[in-house]
Parts: sequence; C-alpha cells; structure tokens
Amino acid sequence: MSDAAVSVSWWARLRSRPALVTVFALLLGFVVGALVIVTTTASVLDAWRGFFHSWSAPGHALKLTVDNVGAAYRTMFEGAILSPSNFWHALTTGHGWPLALTPLSETLTYATPLAIASIGVGIAFQTGIFNIGANGQAILGGIAGAAVGSMIHLPMVLHLPLTLLAGLLGGVVGGMVPGLLKAYTGAHEVIVTLMFNYVVAAFLILTLLSTALQMPGQQNDISRTIDGSAQLPPLFGASSGLRVNWGLFVAAAVAVFAWWFLERSSLGFDFRVTGANPQAARASGINAKAVIVLVFAISGGLAGLAGVTQMAGTTHFVDGGFLIGNAGIGFTAITVSLLGRNRPGGIVLASLLFAALGVGGRAMQAATGIPLDLATVIQSAVVLFVATPVLVKEIFRLRTAPTAAVQLATKGWGS
Amino acid sequence: MRLELRGITKRFGSFTANHRIDLTVEPGQIHCLLGENGAGKSTLMNVLFGLLQPDEGEILIDGEAVHFTNSGEAVRRGIGMVHQHFMLVPVFTVAENVVLGFEPVKSFGRLDRNRAREEIRHVSQTYNLEVDPDAVIEELPVGIQQRVEILKALNHNAELLILDEPTAVLTPQEIDALMEIMRSLAASGKSILFITHKLKEVKAIADVITVIRQGEVVGTAQPTDSEGDLAALMVGRSVNLTVEKEDVTPGEVALEITDLVVRDDRGLPAVDGLSLSVRAGEIVALAGVQGNGQTELVEAIAGMRPVESGSIRLRGRDVTNATPREVLDAGLGHVPEDRQLHGLVLSMSVADNLVLNTPRRAPFARRGSRNLGAVAQNAGELVQRFDIRTTSIQSPVASLSGGNQQKVIVARELSRPLSFLVASQPTRGLDVGSIEYVHRQIVDERNGGLGVLIVSSELDEVLALGDRIAVMHKGKITGVVDPSTSRETIGLMMTGAHAEES
Amino acid sequence: MGIVSEVSVATAPTRRAHQGRTRSIGVIMGLIGLFTLLAFGVGSGMSAQSSLTFNPVNLSGTIPWHVGTLTLSTAWTNIVLALAMIALAVEVNLRLPARGVMVRFGVVAVLFFFSLLLWAARTGGPAPINFVNLTAVLVGSSALAMVLIYGSLSGVMCERAGVVNIAIEGQFIGGAFVGSMIASTTHNFIFAAVVGALVGGLLGLILAFLSLRYLSDQIIVGVVLVTMLGSLSSYLNLQVFTPFPQYNTGNLAPDLPIPLLAKIPLLGPVFFNQTGFFYLMIVLVALVSFGLFRTRWGLRVRAVGEHPKAATTVGIRVIGVRYVNVIVGGAIAGVGGVAFMASQGQFQPGYTSGLGYIALAALIFGRWRPSGAVVASVLFGLSVYLADNLQTYQIPVPTEVLGMFPYVITIAVVSGLIGRVRPPAADGIPYQRD
Repeated sequence: MSDAAVSVSWWARLRSRPALVTVFALLLGFVVGALVIVTTTASVLDAWRGFFHSWSAPGHALKLTVDNVGAAYRTMFEGAILSPSNFWHALTTGHGWPLALTPLSETLTYATPLAIASIGVGIAFQTGIFNIGANGQAILGGIAGAAVGSMIHLPMVLHLPLTLLAGLLGGVVGGMVPGLLKAYTGAHEVIVTLMFNYVVAAFLILTLLSTALQMPGQQNDISRTIDGSAQLPPLFGASSGLRVNWGLFVAAAVAVFAWWFLERSSLGFDFRVTGANPQAARASGINAKAVIVLVFAISGGLAGLAGVTQMAGTTHFVDGGFLIGNAGIGFTAITVSLLGRNRPGGIVLASLLFAALGVGGRAMQAATGIPLDLATVIQSAVVLFVATPVLVKEIFRLRTAPTAAVQLATKGWGS
Repeated sequence: MRLELRGITKRFGSFTANHRIDLTVEPGQIHCLLGENGAGKSTLMNVLFGLLQPDEGEILIDGEAVHFTNSGEAVRRGIGMVHQHFMLVPVFTVAENVVLGFEPVKSFGRLDRNRAREEIRHVSQTYNLEVDPDAVIEELPVGIQQRVEILKALNHNAELLILDEPTAVLTPQEIDALMEIMRSLAASGKSILFITHKLKEVKAIADVITVIRQGEVVGTAQPTDSEGDLAALMVGRSVNLTVEKEDVTPGEVALEITDLVVRDDRGLPAVDGLSLSVRAGEIVALAGVQGNGQTELVEAIAGMRPVESGSIRLRGRDVTNATPREVLDAGLGHVPEDRQLHGLVLSMSVADNLVLNTPRRAPFARRGSRNLGAVAQNAGELVQRFDIRTTSIQSPVASLSGGNQQKVIVARELSRPLSFLVASQPTRGLDVGSIEYVHRQIVDERNGGLGVLIVSSELDEVLALGDRIAVMHKGKITGVVDPSTSRETIGLMMTGAHAEES
Repeated sequence: MGIVSEVSVATAPTRRAHQGRTRSIGVIMGLIGLFTLLAFGVGSGMSAQSSLTFNPVNLSGTIPWHVGTLTLSTAWTNIVLALAMIALAVEVNLRLPARGVMVRFGVVAVLFFFSLLLWAARTGGPAPINFVNLTAVLVGSSALAMVLIYGSLSGVMCERAGVVNIAIEGQFIGGAFVGSMIASTTHNFIFAAVVGALVGGLLGLILAFLSLRYLSDQIIVGVVLVTMLGSLSSYLNLQVFTPFPQYNTGNLAPDLPIPLLAKIPLLGPVFFNQTGFFYLMIVLVALVSFGLFRTRWGLRVRAVGEHPKAATTVGIRVIGVRYVNVIVGGAIAGVGGVAFMASQGQFQPGYTSGLGYIALAALIFGRWRPSGAVVASVLFGLSVYLADNLQTYQIPVPTEVLGMFPYVITIAVVSGLIGRVRPPAADGIPYQRD
C-alpha cells in the first residue's frame, strides 16, 4: 500500500519534470528515424509485404526490421562515442588508442563551433530576439579570421588570439546590421537575418575570389591556408591524428561566460527582462534600442567566434562550402538552442548530442549504406517535438507546467 | 425579444467566473448589468454571445432553449454585441466590417458591394445613425467606430443588443449621443443589455438593474434607488473609503507641469496644454473619465512618451523628454496603470521583480555582476514589511494574486529613496483589504513629506485620498478643488465645466 | 462636423513619414539612373555597339515573322535608358505619388538590368559574343519567375490568413522530389502536379497542425520543416534515385504552344509557348487575386489575418479558415516544386538553393498581394537568371553581386528604406479562443 503510494509520487514527480519532455522528444525522434529506415530499405519492405505469406513471415519481418534499425543505430553509436572492440583492444594491448578515441574526438570537434553558435542564438532567444542569421555571421567570422590568419604573420601568442578576435568582430559586424536595422527602423529581424545569410553567402564567394585572400594558383573559391601560428592546435598533438583541438576550451569558456552573463550579470538581467516583457523593460528604464543592438552584437559575435573556431581549429582555410554542411550551422544552432532550452548548460549537452548524430551518421553510412542525412532527419524531428511540448505531453501523458521557453519568439512580422 | 438566462455557471479550472446566474430581459427594456471590474460581467456576456460555452444552465429566447457553439449562431438568433474593444478590422471599410460574416453575394461568391452599401444606408436611416459606408475604420474617431459596431449588430437584425462597457472610451458628448441612441432603440422595441460599473449612467438610463458580484447575482434594483445603495450592492460592503489622514503642511513644489502637450498613439493631442503642480507632503488626486489624457500624462511624466511641448520639472530638475532611466534616477516612483504590462515581469521571481528598476543599484549589483544574496535579502525584508503573500521569494510573480502583485510594485517603488510618487489606478481590481493597505502606504509616504499624484477613475478613491483634487477633461485641467467639494460638482467638471461655472 | 479635421490630424504624421520614404526611394532610383548613365552609358565608349536578337529558342516550325538583329549604339541606348530612369526618379521626388512607387522602382530595376546586359555584350568588351538574345533572357527568367510566383502565392494564401509560412522552400523540395518520381513512372505531369500538391498540402497541414493546434512558433516550425525536407530528400535521393535512376529522369515538361499567339515575336515565346505549369500559374494568380479581393471568401480570409477575434464574433471559424489556407498554400508551393523540377528535367538534392526564401522575399516586396508578388517575382527571377548566366559575357564585375539583389532589396523594404510594407496585423500570432 505504502509502496504503491511512494511509487506513484515518484512517478508523478518524475513526469512533472520539464526535462522529461526533451527526453521523450529525443525518443520520438529516433522512432521517426527508424520508420524512415524501415520504409526505405527494400529488403525490410519486402519482408513486411510478405507478412501474411507464411507462419514464419511475421517473425522474419520483425527480425529484419530490428536488425536493420539496430545496425544503423549501433554503428551510429560506435562512430560517435566509442566502439567497444576498438576500446577493448586499446585497453588490453595499450595500442590503438588514437583509433579508439577517434569517434569521441570527432564528436567533440563538431560540437565545438556548434555549441558556441548555439549559445549565441540562445542568448538572443532569451532576449526575445530570433537570430536566424548565425550562418552569415559565422561565415563573416571565418572570413575575417582567415584574413588575419593568412595575411599577417606574428608569433602564436599574438597571432592566435588576434585571429579569434577578428572572427569575433566579423560576427559582431554581421550581427550589427540586423540589430541596427531592427532598433532604428523596426525591421523584423527574422526577415533581415534570413535575407542577410544569402547576402553573406554571395559576399563569401566574392572575397574568396579576390586576389588578397584566394589561395595562390587556384581559380576556385578557396582561401589561403592560415599560418600555423594562427591555428588552434590539436589537443593531443598533431601526431595523434585526433582532430579535437583547443577550440574545445574556447567553447567551454563561452559556455561559462554565457551562464554568468545570463544568470549573474546586470546586462544579462536587462536582456532577460526585455525578452520576457519588453514593455515592462522599457518602463523600468532599460534602453530597448541599446539592448537590441547589444544582443545582436553578442549573438553575432559568438556566431563569428564559432566560425573562426571552425576555421582555425579544423579546416584552416575557408571555401565556398564553409559551414554550409547539411543545413548550415546557423540553422542547426537554432534547433540546438531550442533543444537546450536556450540555456548554456542545456545547449552544451544538445550540441554534443547533435554532433554525435552527425558524426555517427557518417560512420553509419560507411558501415550500412544508410545515408547520413538520416541524422539530420532525426535532428529536425526531435526539434519539431521539442517545439511542440504539448504534443509530446499528450503522447506520453506527462504533467508538466506549461513551458513558454520555445514560444518566446512568436510575434507577428509587424512587431 | 425576451431573453432569459437560467442558472448559468461558467468555470475556468478551479475558478468560478459565473455561479448560477438568473437574468431576464423583456422586449423594449434597457436592462443594466452592474458590477465591479472582475465581477464576471464579461464572462457572462461571452457565454450569452456564444464565445464561451456554459458549464451549467440554459439560455432561453422567447421561451425556447438555445445552445450557441459560436457567435455566428447567436447573431442569427438576433443577439448583437458591441464589444468594449471594438471588433472591427481597422483596414476594412465601414461596409466591409458591417457585412462581415453575413455578406451579400453575387454569382461565384463575389461580394455585392453595392448591396452592402445599400443595406448600411437603409439601417443608418432607420435608426438615424449617419456614417459613410466607404470610410476606412482606422481613420474614424472612436465614437464613430462605436456607431459602426452598433450598425453592425442592427444590420444583422439584432433584437437584443449587448453593450459591454460602451462608455469607457467616449467623451461626455459621445456618451450623451449613445444614451440617446439606446433610448430610441428601446423605443423601437429592441431589448438592451447594458454592462457597466458606472452608477450615474445606470441611474440615467436603466429600466431594470441586476447587480453581480464575484460571479453571482447579488440583487436587483430600480433606477430610483440611491447611488449609495447601488454601490453597496455592487461592492458588497458599505462604501467607506475614507482614509485617516493627519494634517500635514505641504512643502515646496515637487512636481511642476507647465503647458504640457502630449500626443496619443494616433497622433492626436491627448494632453493639450496642461499645467499642474504638486507640492511635497500633499496628495493631488487626478479625477476624470478614462481616456481624457490621464494615461498619456502619466506616461509622459514617467519618460515613456515623448513630450511635444511644455515642460515637466521634478523637484526643480527638468525631466521633459527624459528617458525612463533618467526619470527613475531623478527619484520618481511610478505605479503604472497596467501592472502586468508595465509593472511586472510575470515569468520572473518575486525577488527579481522587487529590484526590477534598480538592478544595478548597490548592493544588488557591483561592477556589472549581480549580488543575488542582496537581492534575496531585500526580497525577504519587503515581503515581510508589505505583507506580500507568496510561497517563496523565488516563485514567479505570475503565481501571486492580483492584490499581492500590486503589493510587489508598491513595495518596490516605496522601498527606494523617492522624490515623487505617481500612482495610476493604484487599487484597480484589488480586494478591500489590499485597497486599504495600499491607501495606507500612500498616505504614510505623504505624511513623510513625499509629493504624490494619484490618477484614478474611481471618484471614491479620489475623494478619499486627495488633499486637492484636479479634474481632467480633454487633455486639460478643468479645475483644482478641495476634497470637500460635492460629487456633483466634480462630476460636472469631469464633463468639461469649469470650477467657477459649476 | 469635427470628424474631417480630426481625421486629417490623425493621418498627418504617417503621411509625412510615408512621403519621407517615398523620397528616399526616389533618391535611390536617381542614383541607379546616374550610375547607369556614367558606367553603362558614357562608360562603354561611344563607338561600342550591342546587338539584340530575338530568336525564339524554344519554338520549332515555321515562323511567319522573322525579326532580325537589332544593332544599337551601346552608349546612346544606355544614356536614353538612364535618362528615362532619372526622369522616373524625378517624377517620384516631385509628385510623391501615394501609390505605384514600388512599380516604378521595379521598372527602373528592369531597365538597369537591361542596360547592364547591353553593356556586357558591347563590342570591344571582354565578352566573345556581342549580342543578347532577348527572347532567351526573358524565357529563361520567366521559368524562374514562375517558380517564385508559385512560392509567393503560397505565402499570400498563408499569411493573409495570419500564418507565417517560412517552409515554402521545404514545400518546393517535397514537390520536386515526388514530382520527379511520379512523372518518371507515369510520364504524366498532371499526376505529378496532383501528387506534388498533396505533398505540399501535407507539409502545410503539419505546419498548420503544430502552429494552430499546439501554438508552436510558426517560424521555428517552418525553418525545421525546410531542414527536414532538405535532409529527407537528400536521404531518399541516395536510397531511391541513385540505385534506380529510371525514377528520376527525362522529366522536362513539354512546351504547349498556343496556336498563332506563340509566334508573336518576343511575347509569343515568353507568354504563349510555355509549359502547362506556366499557364496554371497564370490561372492561379488570377484566382487568388480575384478570390482575395472580390469574394466573400477573401473578405473572411483577410478578416482572419487582420483581426481574428472580430472574425470570431461574426461566426467565422478562424482556425478552420487558417487550416484550409495553409493547406491550400502548401499545395500551391508543392506544385511550384513540381514545376521547378519539370523545368530542370529531374530532381537534385539542394538545387532549389534558397528559391523558397526568395519567394518569401517576393511576397514581402509585393506587400502580401498577388499582383505585387508577381511583379516582385518577375524582378527577382530576372536578377537570379542574370546572376546565373552573366558569366558568359565575362564581365569584370562578379555576378554574385547581382545574386544579392533580391535579398538586399527585401532588407531595404522591411527596413522602410524603400517604401513601406505593412503585413496583415495578425500575421504569425497564434490565435486562441480565450
């Protein structure tokens, strides 16, 4: 009797946790991914078509389904976190550590710029600002960093910080354009940042073809490689072959700074007040225009830092496909920020997860032939569910307080 | 049309907005539904108009039970509603608004604009409500917009007209015109349900009065009953708003407003050459019908609305067109009219809301970094001192009752060094206990030598609090009088008559 | 009585602001004209010549009229064009017309593009070819404009009812993918269009369901749908089209010349020798335009997008209207995707490359009106076409600059730097019945 009561209250308490929505949204995302695999793999489809043909057919169909989906997700996990056999081998023999650690290294490498850009988007969200322009801002950061990293030559103590700073400032400039326009003309930031991304994409090609930045002897849109002194060095040295680099510390510093900024700083308080109630913010003496410009400077700056971190840590140059990937880092950053509930801690976890999905997707494609785009499909499905907490709650009969976080930005074009 | 409501009950979660309400409107009758803000009048009307479904009870029209699942059905059964916030599409013409939902059409579903115009002309003439069918709504004055709302209802052949607080936004002349329209409509056999909280209007026009309080019918009354009796029914206590005030000799001038002109959102001069001065240690209460520029005046003082011309001085310091920050730093305390919109951040904690406009002041922050310990300590003290009922200082302020939310604002404003206090509708929607408490706090500040400007549309509050009463009409002060002045005189001044004339 | 004076007071400041913006457009138009005059007029050298040809690239059979090559003096033609642009600019600055300013701006932009073409193809210029096939330019850009019109019409349907549809790009992708599959297997573009409409409508339904039933952020749902469709189509492309290329090939929609009319020089190939998708687009523009502004349905839709509560009080089912419009809007964009696929011949992942967002830009530049969206789409279609094709003239200016045009223009418009746009008042705001 009392046991039952305890377990009920335990369940009641658990299912009223807001984070539970996120967990279930993840689960639903993987279910969607599994459905996509099943419905597009010929052998599985055939097996289901023959479901009623013999007594053993249903079992066969189920087994094929589980095998295919299982193989996909297993290879994804092994490619993104660790492969037990490689790990065991390294552990027992003391050799092959680089191989065993490569998946983790790759995941961290991908998560680094993603986390930085997403934190920028999250700070904007908390201020009631929708920055879809992180893509453009990140590219500007990459260009600025590539210019400083390749065109001037300094010792590393100066060159690397200067390169990162240039990237940050590139992003700040990219953020100021929509920021100033919104503050002084009332232009809707979604439209401006959306359009701005494409302007920057064209600008990128333009600069890459300019003789100052173009890689010598190249006709294509590719920049010079930056000096070694401007690169973020690999954490375990170049000989390890592991790509994870000092950018990780940049991301960690950004996360700590963002936490302090939002939770502890006076300016961050202004930002959050503005995001939660702009009218009250104004009445309490907050300068709305300054906040809009500043939040775009910070959000854009972080996107720029993300761009330069990617450039200085991983690619060491910028080309026409820089940061575009599947959907572009800016769009992924929006989804990561939402998944992380716009808070730095949550965003770090979410970007690790999304990076793992992306890296694991590659391994899955290599091992099973299932295209890595599946990872992005899962990511988008997860975010659709996160953006619709009520739906998730209805499916799983959760009882949490209404979450307003994701609905922050819903305003008309006119405002 | 004879309308009968039987036992209407409407709940929102655990809150009962309407409890077993009975009401009958006879044909040709003007029936007043009288109640305070938040008494449940609007909920009842939304139920009647099909916007909400009742949990219990039934609606009968000419003896026949009806169920409305949307307001289109209510309209089809002859019920028309003039909403407090007009239900007109600003970018549409008068004709388009009037026929919306019941459009005359030609082949292929084409709008028959000529027939729409004809219909409007016809109804206009029948009821003597002149309006240009091709005018665009957003370019019309408020009074005319309301006329369009009435036309819209009549054009749908309304036999029963619900008017929800129709006078709140009108000038006295427009109110007179509206009363005239209501009388002639009743004379032509229409039934009218008139919802208001203004006793004078009720007495002037009602045939029958039903009073509701906290969602229940507490009685019916006759227009011949005295205002005092009506008020007693409405508020459920003998109206005794007198606050004990010690005599204080006012000091030097604290707030000096000279020839102030401020425009409203539509660009019209809402404050139109207003001058007023308030001294330290006195309460000046600003009386007037809502919409006569009080809101714009207070916003201009608080730095939230640009001043076109004239000046505002706080303790000798020019704060004309200062930013809200500068005004706050000059020591202005401000209890805003709309507390949830301008005064609080509902999703944030009580503690954060208590330092909302002083987050950078020592000891709450140092060098850009907040001191959450000091913020919490401040909250703990204020919650005790101002008797704010909350489960925790970290609870979101949204979880507090209206009265306690207002206490948060009052506590915040009065807990910092002030040079002046402006409080706009400080007790709107509060229960008696909270009202008395807020009044006491304000008087204490005045006793301590603070200059206070109270803006209130409740005459009782004005009379109870004011050391002097300034009456505002059409953006100007029509006179400054002593609180011993009769209500009738002040009422007259609110319509624009000057003190000497009345 | 007092009404008239009060009204004029009320609108005076807005009119002043409006005139200020009109003036700034005028100035920008003048600057463009001046630039044309100096760079493309005087700058091309007085001896240079440009040739215009009108060969109907897409028309076979005998042509009753043959229009030969028109050779013009580059400098003088461009000077005349520039003066016309400057004249328009002066007219705008002096008269400050209340309507039609953006149309005049569009004319100036088109003249500018034309002038740029003449300059690029001048004799003595870097280009190996010294003629512009005007028919080819117009036919090429009309294919792009058509797709943009489908997209912006979809936007009109959704946003006039108060739902922001940022997922147009995703609906294009979905339509293009299934369109190719159906057209390859059935060889019937009507089937392809119908299934494309179904897929677009389904995406519209998802957007409507999440944003109307669950009040999710419409912009977020839209962005995520685009991402999802992008990756899903790329995934399916590898899973289905790569192993079975026969499902994704040979889908160039045939031109359906209208007898006689198709042979009119220049106009014929552009308007009367197009695919069925083009004619369907014309019909849709007419239908939406007529429906929105002439019918009962349109009045109700606009009421829902401007003031949903008012619509509710007269018995209009706001949520119902929004569902229908978002689904129909999605279907239109889906057909647009099929149309794009049919102009390319097959599906390729990522080949819509932001056309859906340009359509969104056209919707805004066209002030949420079908007619405006058409004008904007034509303008943007032309600029995208030129950006893609101008390198054949080897001009020293990178074509990327031209590619920025739709985006820069849209930023300028929403910032009020050029003209003034006013979206439906309730656009993007979730509606809840109390």
